[in-house]
Amino acid sequence: MYLSYKNKIMAAEIKTIKSNFQKDLENAESRESLKKLKIKYLGRKSKISELFSNIPNLPKQERGYWGKELNILKNQISSVIEARLAGKSQKEEKIDLTYPARLPDQGSNHILSSVTNDICLIFKELGFNIISGNEVEDEWHNFSALNIPLEHPSRDAFDTFYLDLPEKNQKSGSWLLRSHTSPSQIRMMQKLNPPLAVVSPGRVYRPDVVDATHSFMFYQIEGFAVGENLSFADLKGTLLYFAKQFFSQEVQLRFRPHFFPFTEPSAEVDVSCVICAGSQAEGGGRCSVCKGKGWLEILGCGMIHPNVLEACGIDSKKYQGFAFGMGVDRIVMQKYQINDIRLFYENDLNFLKQFPI
Amino acid sequence: MKFSLNFLKQFVEIKVSAKELADKFTSAGLEIENLKKISEDWVFDAEVTTNRYDWLSILGIAQEAAAVLGKNIKINYPKIKIKPGLTEISISAEDKKDCPYYLARVIEGIKVAPSPDWLKKLVVNCGMASVNNIVDITNYCMLKWGNPLHAFDKDKIEGDICIRRAKDKEEFVGIDQKRRVLSKENLIIADSKKTIALAGVIGAKNTEVTSSTENIFLEAAKFSPITVRRSRRHLGLDTESSYRFERRVSEFFLDYASQEAADLIEELAKGKFSGFKKIGKKTEKQPKDITIGLAKMKNYLGTDFKINKVKKILKTLNFKIQKSTTDKIKVKPALSRFDIEKEVDVYEEFARIYGYGRIKAKIPFLKKSQKDFSLLGREEKFWEFKNKIRSFVSLSGFSEIITYSIESKEELSLFTEESGLELKNPLRRQEDSLRPVLSLGMIKVVKHNLNRGKSNLNIFEIADVYQKNKNSLKEKPFLSLGISGEKTRFFLLKGQVLAILNYLNIKSVQFKESKKKSFSNALEVVVKGEVVGFLGKINKKEKEKFGLKEDLFISELDLRLLEKYKRDKKFKPFSRFPAVWRDISLAIEEKIKFKEVRRIIEKEGQYLADLAVIDSYQSQELPPGYFAFTLRIFYQSKQKTLNSNEVDSYHNNIRKKLDKKTGIILR
Repeated sequence: MYLSYKNKIMAAEIKTIKSNFQKDLENAESRESLKKLKIKYLGRKSKISELFSNIPNLPKQERGYWGKELNILKNQISSVIEARLAGKSQKEEKIDLTYPARLPDQGSNHILSSVTNDICLIFKELGFNIISGNEVEDEWHNFSALNIPLEHPSRDAFDTFYLDLPEKNQKSGSWLLRSHTSPSQIRMMQKLNPPLAVVSPGRVYRPDVVDATHSFMFYQIEGFAVGENLSFADLKGTLLYFAKQFFSQEVQLRFRPHFFPFTEPSAEVDVSCVICAGSQAEGGGRCSVCKGKGWLEILGCGMIHPNVLEACGIDSKKYQGFAFGMGVDRIVMQKYQINDIRLFYENDLNFLKQFPI
Repeated sequence: MKFSLNFLKQFVEIKVSAKELADKFTSAGLEIENLKKISEDWVFDAEVTTNRYDWLSILGIAQEAAAVLGKNIKINYPKIKIKPGLTEISISAEDKKDCPYYLARVIEGIKVAPSPDWLKKLVVNCGMASVNNIVDITNYCMLKWGNPLHAFDKDKIEGDICIRRAKDKEEFVGIDQKRRVLSKENLIIADSKKTIALAGVIGAKNTEVTSSTENIFLEAAKFSPITVRRSRRHLGLDTESSYRFERRVSEFFLDYASQEAADLIEELAKGKFSGFKKIGKKTEKQPKDITIGLAKMKNYLGTDFKINKVKKILKTLNFKIQKSTTDKIKVKPALSRFDIEKEVDVYEEFARIYGYGRIKAKIPFLKKSQKDFSLLGREEKFWEFKNKIRSFVSLSGFSEIITYSIESKEELSLFTEESGLELKNPLRRQEDSLRPVLSLGMIKVVKHNLNRGKSNLNIFEIADVYQKNKNSLKEKPFLSLGISGEKTRFFLLKGQVLAILNYLNIKSVQFKESKKKSFSNALEVVVKGEVVGFLGKINKKEKEKFGLKEDLFISELDLRLLEKYKRDKKFKPFSRFPAVWRDISLAIEEKIKFKEVRRIIEKEGQYLADLAVIDSYQSQELPPGYFAFTLRIFYQSKQKTLNSNEVDSYHNNIRKKLDKKTGIILR
């Protein structure tokens, strides 16, 4: 077909566009540059658009031809760019994975209350009921009913805060802040009929000056069971079950005879060191937790003294039972290697947040 | 109690090593806390439990060694000499209860000198200082028999001896050189002119044995444990002597202890026994026989053993077998064993020597009385309830704290009109009362953490508060929530309170403006007409007083009341059609409350499903006293999908109504 002068220009323009586009396309790496290319070649101010607007100036019979040619070019460029873009969009955006994590707003349970719960729930598995007792008590429940006589050296272990409140009656004696959780045992045995099994956690108070190992307030868990045939062997089994569930299946317990006014026979119980597993017991090892002894004292226990049962109106000829009590603070300190009891009551978030939920 | 191996060996054959013996003692209940070798001897440091008076003597420990080693103990009892009688000094006791029995022996012409080596070593290895032959002999006999003795310089005693209570404010100088002021609480030994000893506790300086002493008045006595305990506690004093008297001293060995001391003084200090006197009499009864049944004992200990084993062990513990059949044994405990009164005491004696370790553990099947199930269940439910609240709140982003229940009365009075419950014997003024509110502990913890660079805190505590009601006391479990930070965080606290109430399905909750000591902007939380708690902001004055770096919002809720109003949840059908929302930006004048805006919207909104403040701000463009925020209103129908035109028309209606209200500007 004969081409007019203008058409020669047209043909040359199309050729230039094609070759420029090829060059540009080679350099267009990113989505961004492809989008720019799209604007450059297909946008309102592009060369192609200019050529389209120039069509009316062409000879009438050629207008159709060049219109078609330009459309073909436009479609070609468009499809190449779209295909490239489509290829590009398959790729995920790369993000900086070293950017700091965004933590959820997380609270925490205090380590003493979560461990108290953990322990109570282990006993619940064995059939104990969990009951919180009162912290304000009277002398009868805190001492007398527990076979701890007035004016006896055995009371020295139980220095007590007394309250400025008139006594209810002569038998009950002065009001005080319980110095152990055992009065809960008395209250339950007074209220309930055997057989029964209860654990009772809570705060107890003793007038000790606060230092790294003493606090005038701390946590205890009391547990007891009364039935017709409960024996010292049952006590051992109960506590062994607890220790294995709480510390680990490998731990051993050692029952040492001891004296508590409210139990007979009585024992102090040691658990094989949770850190050195008793491996340093011989030869004076240097385990910082058990001080090389291989054992850690964790609780006191025994068969409930008949005087205690009788004080609660339970027939000690028919019923017998066992009781145990443990200091939660000390157990937590051993298990988590916390060296200062004051950390529990200072409530520094740097401490609290170490033990979430 | 410290004791030496060589001392023990005088009474029982010991072939095992000191370490082995210490382990045997510990596993039988005589806990050896420390074991140390000193030249040819070993020193044991034992923790003696308060029931074992007998372990405060070498003979008692020798008996224990015999039991754990399966041996017999041999004791040579001295021959008691009571002639000639002592006539020149008369002795009387004001109250037989304080001093039922008193022995005196006089030894004359003695020579005070350092002790011979063997005596020195035994006394020192049992943890006492060697003073001179006389004092060392009294200590040696106390260590051996368990009975404290005291030697007076007889020539410094003027007139007769009386055991009586001290006069009020009487001064006393002990052999420790310390001056003390006595009272009626103190039992003393006095001569006709002065006080010469605090009975059972310490001797006086004025009659102390010195290097020039020639004649000895040797005291051996039984003093009331309670009297000695009160006396020494009153003075804040604790001596080897009082330690033993408090735990009860056996009368049975008193004569022997006194006699052996007198004999030793004669022998080692070259004196001559020249007089004996006693007043009162032995009052202690012999321990009673106890009959134990083998079957019951096995059932109690939960293990099986032969009756001969029981007899053998009890014999090594110096029990006398009075009678025995195939399944019963009647025993008499040793003279010094006041602690053996019941069958269970005998069980323990057997079990601790038999070995607690030999009793096989078994897991019990625990039964429960049907009768009490509801009470147990109710109490346990409340424990579970508290735990549910704890988990809910901590999962909402709050950290649990545990603060002391004892606070200062003065600081507590800032938060409550109620008078707190005071302690009679506080350790310090800062902790002298039981708290009726939890806020004070919360404030202190917030302050601590804000001072350490933390901010915007969310913390909580679950603890009992104590409320005095005339002469009785109520102990109530409470929950406290504390949120610190800028002022709109108040609504976070309000939201948290609401979330808890929603969680418990507690309906018809009202927040009522109220006054609360040391709080500003306080609201009472009311359920069915009953106040279940409050929330509010710590006011500026207290914020400054406690040095809080941020505003602090606190809520306290009564957990028993929350439990009372909580209801089980029931499923509520919800709309299956989509919700559509439209926003409105508006500004309201300060005096108009948000609840007014809510009222207008709720009145008009036919398909109103929910509304929320999504943004709030203050702007320069607003008239003064106006506050701007953006509300998002959700529309939803239970029957159909709302189309855009419908929603627009409802929404425009609301806009118009809001626009009409003076004090509200639509933006």
